[in-house]
Amino acid sequence: MPMLILTTYQTFTPLFEIYMRNNLPSLGFGLGLRTEHYNTILETKPKVDWFEALSENYMVPGGLPLNFLDRIRADYPVVMHGVSLSIGSTEPFDQAYLKDLKKLADRIQPAWISDHLCWTGVHGQNIHDLLPLPYTEETAKHIAERVNTVQDYLGRQILLENVSSYASYVDSTMTEWEFISLICEQTDCLLLLDVNNIYVSSYNHNFDAKDFIDGVPQHRVQQIHLAGHQNNGDYIIDTHDAPVIDPVWDLYSYAISKLGEVSTMIERDDNMPELDVLVQELQIARHLSANVLKEAA
Amino acid sequence: MSHLANLQAEFQAYLMDDVKGAGFIKSVIDDKKVGAKKRLGIYFDAYRLRIIEALATAYPQLKALLGDVLFNKVAREYIDAYPSTYLNLRWYGSQMRGHLQETLAQHPIAAEMANFEWTLSLAFDAEDVPELSLQDLATIPPESWVDLSFEFQPAIKIIQTSWNTIAVWQALEAEETPPKPKQESIYQSWLIWRKNFNSQFRLITEMEVTALNMAVMGATFGEICASLEVEMDEEQAMVTAAQYLASWLENGLVCKVSLIKFAS
Repeated sequence: MPMLILTTYQTFTPLFEIYMRNNLPSLGFGLGLRTEHYNTILETKPKVDWFEALSENYMVPGGLPLNFLDRIRADYPVVMHGVSLSIGSTEPFDQAYLKDLKKLADRIQPAWISDHLCWTGVHGQNIHDLLPLPYTEETAKHIAERVNTVQDYLGRQILLENVSSYASYVDSTMTEWEFISLICEQTDCLLLLDVNNIYVSSYNHNFDAKDFIDGVPQHRVQQIHLAGHQNNGDYIIDTHDAPVIDPVWDLYSYAISKLGEVSTMIERDDNMPELDVLVQELQIARHLSANVLKEAA
Repeated sequence: MSHLANLQAEFQAYLMDDVKGAGFIKSVIDDKKVGAKKRLGIYFDAYRLRIIEALATAYPQLKALLGDVLFNKVAREYIDAYPSTYLNLRWYGSQMRGHLQETLAQHPIAAEMANFEWTLSLAFDAEDVPELSLQDLATIPPESWVDLSFEFQPAIKIIQTSWNTIAVWQALEAEETPPKPKQESIYQSWLIWRKNFNSQFRLITEMEVTALNMAVMGATFGEICASLEVEMDEEQAMVTAAQYLASWLENGLVCKVSLIKFAS
């Protein structure tokens, strides 16, 4: 369970109590930062504890998006979330990408940096998708070496997120959660647990979603993602274009009962509603988390 | 090649061509619920749909000009011709002008429209630099102006159009019926830059293009005046150069001035 300690995390406010987890602040309840909401955020200062910025959107020389991010960062804690690190690729890292990522982190001072446990392309090519990995010892060892390289370069632990997947490999020799555990053991990295992705993958690959939550190193979970998806009957696509569904909320409650308080946010990328709709949806997460933690106390 | 490297190479080859790469299907678990081919098909389709969406975001009025069906065809051909080498999807699409010059040569306005929209987008997130105003130059005595050299914001670009591309773009942007594509009697030059975080554009004369290009290359105000004297008398050249400079400052193009003193 996280320790309750005093901290001076927010320099310009008096000392106050916040939860720490893995020596990082527990940020509360956040939203993905999206272009459509920039002005509303600055004008109305909504009751959102923090925002998650998509790293690549701001890895540009300058201009309006970076300016918005700077101004929003002045009012809210921000974490950085990338899609192009390609931690599982057999290609060498793109050094320019790592440099730009670090440059953005130096500018934004995020609470932490995350990306996905996947690969996105080889032979100098990028598929712009989060492609699944075979769950083998060879792959885990390869990824662990790369995670260590990135953590050394950035000078901090990174968070890896479990992806939604639609295919699994005949060569896999272990479950996804065993694979994740193996990488964590070898790297001391942290986890971004996407509860919706667990639900999607459990549906697509016929496993019990609770086994996933039970199986990962729970103390390493620093952040939770929630999102909506598209159910096509025989499989689910992770679309982020709809509200979170009840079975995913149930799974979230189960996760909190096992993990304790964890920074939680909702990702919405398409069919974008007004900001206050998402703020309301975030209230559900607040209530569920509070109820579970109250019951556990 | 390691087992993992081999798997990734085969998966990627399948995503490029699901017929030639069909051998990869056997690497994926096939179950009663969803077959392996259908599972890989989700990735095959997503690869194209995601990039088509990104191209539509980068080229909104090109899409409006071509219509959904032709734009999708162009985008799919583009994906096949230019596999993405960019880690950031933002930069994918940079070859669209050349692609359209080859594949839609019968409609030259399409390539011009692509060039215009891409240049606008480059200006949008170009590097931030300070913006000088006319007042910033007030402290420099008039007799020193001939030795002034200028630095410009990185966002500025000049493009040429031979068709009524900008008029068509403006109508489409305003969701109005565009004029019929028409070739102009002479090509036009357009200055593109950024002001107050938004991309801007205006028509620019060939004489001003020459002056601006000289200034960007580091020419002094005096050298720009001298070059204009080929076209007009000394006093008129000075007035014209001053007008250009005033408009560059008003547009926010100039980020730094320096006094260049040459040893005599």
